[in-house]
Amino acid sequence: MKIVVKIIFVGALIALGIWLWTIFFPKPETIVRQRILKLAKIVSFTKGEGNFSRVAAGERVGGFFSTNVEINITIPGHESDTLHSRAEITQAALQARQAVRELVVKVPDTQVTLAPDKQSAVADVTVDVEISGERDAIVQEMKFTFQKMDGNWLITKIETVRTLN
Amino acid sequence: MAQAATNPTRGENSAGWIRLLVFGRSPKRTLLRIIVLVVACFVVFRLVLLPIRVTGISMSPTYKDNSINFVNRFAYWRHEPQRGDVVGIQFAGPHLMLLKRIVGLPGETIAFANGRILINGQPLAEPYEKGPCNWNMPAEKIGSDEYYVVGDNREMPQSLHMQGRVERWRILGKALL
Repeated sequence: MKIVVKIIFVGALIALGIWLWTIFFPKPETIVRQRILKLAKIVSFTKGEGNFSRVAAGERVGGFFSTNVEINITIPGHESDTLHSRAEITQAALQARQAVRELVVKVPDTQVTLAPDKQSAVADVTVDVEISGERDAIVQEMKFTFQKMDGNWLITKIETVRTLN
Repeated sequence: MAQAATNPTRGENSAGWIRLLVFGRSPKRTLLRIIVLVVACFVVFRLVLLPIRVTGISMSPTYKDNSINFVNRFAYWRHEPQRGDVVGIQFAGPHLMLLKRIVGLPGETIAFANGRILINGQPLAEPYEKGPCNWNMPAEKIGSDEYYVVGDNREMPQSLHMQGRVERWRILGKALL
């Protein structure tokens, strides 16, 4: 019986060690996933948001992107948009916060493919956007290209993926 | 005094009855049944029948907004998707999907002429399509590994309706109900 208890204890210790290792040293895929979820959270806002937090969130959005970022968004039934710099992204984030009262961005699915050199990654993402006043949510598949720059995973490109051709 | 003596007995009976109802005659067997049930539910509803909530009106009147359905992932285990099947089409993963009807098969040519679907130039009979439709689309060739999908609600403007060719790997399964 003592041996069984010891085996269980050692097993639990190993599991705890593995769990802690993944927390402190996450895989690049996990970091990319977390970045996307964090970006979705920052881009989202509710109607009760104050002016200060609105501006702060708009500024924080820019930090997720590289300086030479390229964003091409084409959603059927909506206007297409192209952005080329952090400043344009920050501006767009602030404008969105002024244009609509509430916006919720969810990312239910993310598939990350890491490049062999582990310095870049492509994430295929399902984006679900709920805008106040709109009856239906906008669901769009998107491709995020990440590059590791100075230890940070930054978005260099975002493009829409046509699920149906 | 008699009343006081009978109350604990009733209480004990009641507690025993509840214990019997919750844990069964053999708590070990009950626990095993619960574990089997949980595992079976997990396997069925995560891997075989994906529960979905239909949102939007593109599949109306066949599927109403907010209706519940399941996507059978094993439907195309032994055969390929057929014309008329309502299928779940995945985006980047299985948590959100499109629900559409297959109208065109690999290698065929599809067109819309005054609301009628033409497959290889021949009109397609669509008993599920009820409302008036005036959609037009020039002939389009469907690839060898593609299917053409469209919703049943053709009354809505064509520009607001998601339709088109979908690659086979995106078809998750067939709508069950």
